Amino acid sequence: MSDRNSISIIIVRKTLMVTVPSDPDDATVSALQDEVLAAMQRVDAKGVVLDIGSVETLDSFFARTVAETASMVALMGGRTVVVGMRPSVAVTATQIGITLGGIETALSVERALDLLDRPVTGRSRR
Amino acid sequence: MGTQFEPRSGGLPGAAASQTSPETQELVRLLIENIKDYAIITLDPRGHVLSWNAAAERLKGWKADEIVGQHFSRFYPPEDLQNGKTEMELKVASQEGRFEDEGWRVRKDGSRFWANVIITALRDSEGRLRGFGKVTRDLTARRESEEKIRRQAQEILEMAAVPVVQVWSGILLVPLIGTLNSQRTQQLMDVLLNKVMETASPVALLDITGVPAIDTQTAQHLIETIAAVRLLGSEVVLTGVRPSIAQTLVHLGIDLSNVSTRSSLSAGLRTAFELLELCVAPRATAGG
Amino acid sequence: MTGTAQGEVSIRSEGDIVAARRSVREAVMELGFGLTDVTRVVTAASELARNVHKYGGGGVMRWRRLESGGRRGIELEFIDQGPGIADVELALQQGYSSGKGLGLGLPAARRLMDELEIRTAPGAGTTVTSRKWCPP
Repeated sequence: MSDRNSISIIIVRKTLMVTVPSDPDDATVSALQDEVLAAMQRVDAKGVVLDIGSVETLDSFFARTVAETASMVALMGGRTVVVGMRPSVAVTATQIGITLGGIETALSVERALDLLDRPVTGRSRR
Repeated sequence: MGTQFEPRSGGLPGAAASQTSPETQELVRLLIENIKDYAIITLDPRGHVLSWNAAAERLKGWKADEIVGQHFSRFYPPEDLQNGKTEMELKVASQEGRFEDEGWRVRKDGSRFWANVIITALRDSEGRLRGFGKVTRDLTARRESEEKIRRQAQEILEMAAVPVVQVWSGILLVPLIGTLNSQRTQQLMDVLLNKVMETASPVALLDITGVPAIDTQTAQHLIETIAAVRLLGSEVVLTGVRPSIAQTLVHLGIDLSNVSTRSSLSAGLRTAFELLELCVAPRATAGG
Repeated sequence: MTGTAQGEVSIRSEGDIVAARRSVREAVMELGFGLTDVTRVVTAASELARNVHKYGGGGVMRWRRLESGGRRGIELEFIDQGPGIADVELALQQGYSSGKGLGLGLPAARRLMDELEIRTAPGAGTTVTSRKWCPP
């Protein structure tokens, strides 16, 4: 079992694969931002896949950190895709108006990697 | 009528002389002492504990020497004490002869259990109230399985009320019929999101052809549902937006500009195929 | 149903916010809330616990089981001796703050729970009490 407070970052196809543990404390969430940005610089990754499939609670602090991190990653030239949000977490998040700032999302890590291989299409589809 | 007992040799329920032999009395005492499933205790007329059996210790946590003399309101949760429940129970038992109830009771450690309780007024041959007998049975397990069945039935009902159909590999269809209140939206979101996750479907068609009218609240519920599906990584196409709905949405000032919307379900299906980068083409004719 | 009827978690350090979440999670699961409602209550607790730590200078969370008319519920109470909230109405308004102020915590908790009460005054600390009931 992974340590409750450890964020794992591995590099696959020039992409950062970040896995968040089930109930990270605030310090761990803040560390996520630092570690992701440091890795972005080290590897010059084209993007970040943030796997939150284990996350049981997504409060405003976590959401704000993720949204900020995505903006910072964008400034460093990368895209961020969030994967695996649990239904109960999604329902709660929308109820309190958390939108993750328009970050891209995907149903699986595989789809996220495919998504990052294509150009940005944007959310507005008519 | 209360339970009558003759205060003859030791005082036992039942009138037959043969039942009052010392040996039989001893057996009755052993029964009460050893029975495992029923906490059998006696109270004085004001409700203080007089006797205690092994099952009572097992169920409620107190040992006999800790609890004898205490008032039986110790076994009740705070909300019952505020309502004067214990006084009421003794009063009814004393007037009617017995009182039966199911409810929460509290153990020595503060934990709760669901109990079936029967309090019986014990009167002597002159009809004087000598005390009360209290038989308690732990029904927590039965209540839990009843709750579980009720919840499962509820879930089945909810799923039936919000059908989510997989019309194609990767495309879910939700044909909404009727109005969409808060509760139904919750059901919709739970069922749809779980289905999206289970089937990993990138597209969900939310069809409102069967929704008679749309107001601000309904629109808000739809927007919330769409936002939640997007957080999971799927896209929603809102279909069945007929002229009257389109007019209402604009008049209410509802902004759906970042949502894919189509007037008919078939147009929505076509959009879904596009999103999945699939195309439907006639089969090539044979021969030449 | 067995289980404890109440509990308390002191909120002195950042790590205590997680402790508060875990306590609340255990308590509401014991009560038989559905998974989505469990998530709602735990998220509300996380928001309010963070407020206590970040703006209240530390404090305590108390929870207790509720029972009324056959319905079960939970009550969460967050108490701090901090500076208090000057404008409660403002604090309850939806939306992220600009970095100062109380952020999303209170409005989020209000939307997720059934009842929310705030007792506060500038310089006199804050007590936030909220309740959620198991649907019938």
